[in-house]
Amino acid sequence: MRSNPNRVPGAIAAVFAFLLALVPGIAGAQNAQATDQLPVVKPEPTGVIHEPRFVLRAIDFASRTTGDGTNRKNGPHLVFSSGLTGAGWISGGGGYRHWLGQDHAIFESTAAYSWRSYKVADARFEYLKFAGGRVTAGTEIRWQDLTQVNYFGEGNHSLEADRAEYRLTSTNVLGHASYRPSEWLAVDASIGWLRPTLKGPGGTFDRGFPPVLEVFPHDPAFALARQPDFIHDQIAVTGDTRDFRSHPAHGGVYHVALSAFHDKDTSVFTTHRFDAEAAQFMSLTRRAVLALHAAVVTSGTATGHIVPLYLMPMLGGHHSLRAYSDQRFHDRNTLVISVEQRFALLTHMDAIAFYDAGSVAARARDLNLDLTDYGFALSMHSRGATFARVDMAHGREGWKLSFRMSDPFHLSKLRQPTPNFPALR
Amino acid sequence: MTTFLAGRAFALTVALAGCAKSVHVTLPADGALPALLWQAPGGPGTRDLFNGPWSPDHAPDPSARYRLIERKHTGVNPGMTVRDPGGREWSVKTAAPETSDMPEGPIEVVVSRVLSGLGYLQPPVYFLRTFQLETTWGVRAEAGGRFRLKDKSLKDRGTWPLGANPFVGTKPHSALLVIFMLLGSSDMKVSNNTLYEHRAATGNDVWYVVRDLGTALGSTARLSPRRGDVAALAANRFIVDVRNGFVVFDYHGWHQELVRGRITPEDVGWACELVAGLSAAEWQDAFRAGGYEPGLASRYIDIIQSRIALGRQVAATGHVPASVRR
Repeated sequence: MRSNPNRVPGAIAAVFAFLLALVPGIAGAQNAQATDQLPVVKPEPTGVIHEPRFVLRAIDFASRTTGDGTNRKNGPHLVFSSGLTGAGWISGGGGYRHWLGQDHAIFESTAAYSWRSYKVADARFEYLKFAGGRVTAGTEIRWQDLTQVNYFGEGNHSLEADRAEYRLTSTNVLGHASYRPSEWLAVDASIGWLRPTLKGPGGTFDRGFPPVLEVFPHDPAFALARQPDFIHDQIAVTGDTRDFRSHPAHGGVYHVALSAFHDKDTSVFTTHRFDAEAAQFMSLTRRAVLALHAAVVTSGTATGHIVPLYLMPMLGGHHSLRAYSDQRFHDRNTLVISVEQRFALLTHMDAIAFYDAGSVAARARDLNLDLTDYGFALSMHSRGATFARVDMAHGREGWKLSFRMSDPFHLSKLRQPTPNFPALR
Repeated sequence: MTTFLAGRAFALTVALAGCAKSVHVTLPADGALPALLWQAPGGPGTRDLFNGPWSPDHAPDPSARYRLIERKHTGVNPGMTVRDPGGREWSVKTAAPETSDMPEGPIEVVVSRVLSGLGYLQPPVYFLRTFQLETTWGVRAEAGGRFRLKDKSLKDRGTWPLGANPFVGTKPHSALLVIFMLLGSSDMKVSNNTLYEHRAATGNDVWYVVRDLGTALGSTARLSPRRGDVAALAANRFIVDVRNGFVVFDYHGWHQELVRGRITPEDVGWACELVAGLSAAEWQDAFRAGGYEPGLASRYIDIIQSRIALGRQVAATGHVPASVRR
């Protein structure tokens, strides 16, 4: 018996009520725009330790070469992240961007290749000036090849020893529209066509884990010779009041989405999904920022139908339970909360302590906070962008060290007009 | 502006106090419009380094509401094109709030004022600390920056290289390079220099303008120069040696070929005499135009004055003091 995906249990609602109670930013954002108060660019908070000059020069260099995340520059640009969890510790590629007709439209294409041969290619066109700029519409085509996606089976108690891998290639074509009643709030709708392909693991720096079909021979997705095509649609509301997306000191981001993947072959894999996510950032002192994050995903099907493994929400890795492997836990429903205390060690280096908790479950009402971890991190950043971060986390499966070139709560996927596929976190 | 251009000539012969050498500015051979890089500046009292070489009605109104036309999509610093209530368009270079860099805008205005005060042609640029920006989402106070008026009398005709132009070999051209060294500038790439067709009632001509001047007043480097950093400017030695009759500068930015083996002590002397013509009040005015507080401006000015003194010493003796060479 499967649960109704739209039923959010009381514990989850309480988590979001807690986060929303911390949100002065939503009401305050519009007020700030209406006021005549002149903005003051505050100096960066200095750390407790005097920053060596070479650190400042390194940050300057990183700022100028890796970009500021504002996507404002025309022409070719470098890409330093595939944006895909599990792609490996380093990714690189290039892109081309061109703003057209005094910012009336944008064309952009990117391609990236990662340590584990993950590949992403994407092209999009968006017209930005309907209704005086409040309504935008666009189209996008995205191809990606994830060569070594982890799968351990379903549930909180899946065994680490059952680790298997598969390769997921997909082509996604979509159209989308967005209405922005205010600068910080967007209502998005999208519809698209998705063709996934499953294979055995491949790519470079293969970790040698067996294919999913060997460990889970009865997996319903792998039982098919060919995966079905999907028509997907989504409606989402996103509010974003963060001062900076890649290194926020205050504000928050709040996102709710309803989406569906319609199996065009047999309907057996047709899946509905509800996503809710929020992150709040608060400057406690000049040097200390508290970051809170919570996310819940529920998915469901008609009775007797199946959520294929590549449409299941997942937990584990840099953006959720950090002491666990990427995609460590799969099931129809996931819940994760994180608390981070960030402290300015140098002007451009934070020392961080964090705690994560969450779970996966077949029924949304069974979600809890039983899976936990804690850890420490160091991050290098400019005023508004994180360039590098090293995390050391400990959970029930031991210690895990990870290196990333982004903030774990950047939540860039919330800005994408398409449902998150696969539901990597 | 009329006064400023009154000394315009197609072949300039300039005699500065303490420098009796004649300077001839080469013209394009194809008979096109006359080309101008520099004009002999007036003395103290004849130039306004706060408002600049253009009349005050070319300045932006700090209380006006500016309509966003488009964001800037090139360069390191962000910016935008805005339109004021009078229909005039402005190119605004703002700070990049997400970075740790000093914004280019204030520096660019200061250096522009200094160059125009010394006789180099400059477009109308100004600094506003904040301004009212009107977008789709309403009107808000926006952190300001450098405002450059898109004036109808100046038509952009592309770029020009510092290393290949009709003025190479002239004292004003060499002095321009020395002034870059003096002010700790790392910005000598072609895209920073603009050819303007200048249209005036008295006739048209072509201005060779060094326009993007914001990477200055700090350390020089290829990858990560620190602009607007008074400590970094102080740490830079300006001149480190004289070898084979040419001055060796403490310059680490791109296009070192422009100054390596090309600038003589005499060139440095000519440039330093030119810069020394600016009064203390004019220096303060130039920094005030870029929004600098007097105290910080004085720190920069003191450093620049000591570098001018070093340049004069090198010009007079032909060598660099051992204490500087270290």
